[in-house]
Amino acid sequence: MSEEYDVEFVEREEREARFLVRGISPGFANGIRRAMVADVPTMAIDTVRFIENSSVMFDEQLALRLGLVPLTTPPEGEFGEDDTVTLSIDVEGPATAYSGDLVSEDDLVQPADENVPIIELKEDQRLEAEADAVLDRGKDHAKHQGGVAIGYRHLQRVEVVGDLPEFEEQESRIVRGVIEDDGELVPTSEFDHDLSNRYPGKEVEVEDVPNAFVFHVETDGSLDVEELVTRAADSIESRATELEEAVQL
Amino acid sequence: MSYKCSRCKRDVQLDEYGGVRCPYCGHRVLLKERSRDVKEVDVQ
Repeated sequence: MSEEYDVEFVEREEREARFLVRGISPGFANGIRRAMVADVPTMAIDTVRFIENSSVMFDEQLALRLGLVPLTTPPEGEFGEDDTVTLSIDVEGPATAYSGDLVSEDDLVQPADENVPIIELKEDQRLEAEADAVLDRGKDHAKHQGGVAIGYRHLQRVEVVGDLPEFEEQESRIVRGVIEDDGELVPTSEFDHDLSNRYPGKEVEVEDVPNAFVFHVETDGSLDVEELVTRAADSIESRATELEEAVQL
Repeated sequence: MSYKCSRCKRDVQLDEYGGVRCPYCGHRVLLKERSRDVKEVDVQ
């Protein structure tokens, strides 16, 4: 029952990518987007035990900050929903406590970035704490969102229909996203999002390509883009299977 | 219950007769120290 989708990458980095998918409905495109935001489990700190906190902030405030630090998520099947990983932090002022100061008991679960400031400590202030990280979904708490800044747009087809009249001044025509020009994919940032830069003196027509969507995906570092997209698709599949089994008695 | 005098920075034990006053320097402002217990906090 599986269908082949045509996927083409426009930009591809570890944490950010832009890709074109052809042959999907708007509903399915939105389903994938939502699954990437809310249904892919990632690690995040859930409980913190403060041994010493003589900083200027309350334990609860620091706990929230620690919770929002993105942690790398281990490969699928490595951890269950109830497993915890303990991280500890011990910083003495004068210094700033960064996410890089968190020491994890497990190499698979590490702070994704080393330079997230947690708190600035002055002379004689100290932060010592132990934290438990768990696996959960973006649905339950925003700290578990693996995908941030995820969206999609229709692919837009640009066609030159003729020349502008000789003495007419060309008006700027702003387009954002990715355009298709004779089968070639061009991000609009290449011509400053203005079609009059790319086609000077020409009259152009822009239309949405049906069922072709350009996704822009950015992750917080807990997963790389590929992993996030495939896990989102897997989560849709497993829920669909679950529904199928529930309906057939 | 242990307090700390805000002027002479010494630890002060209060009893029910002495009132709120540092027995060493007579200062009336005492600060309550944070307990040494480990405090567990849920990330909300």
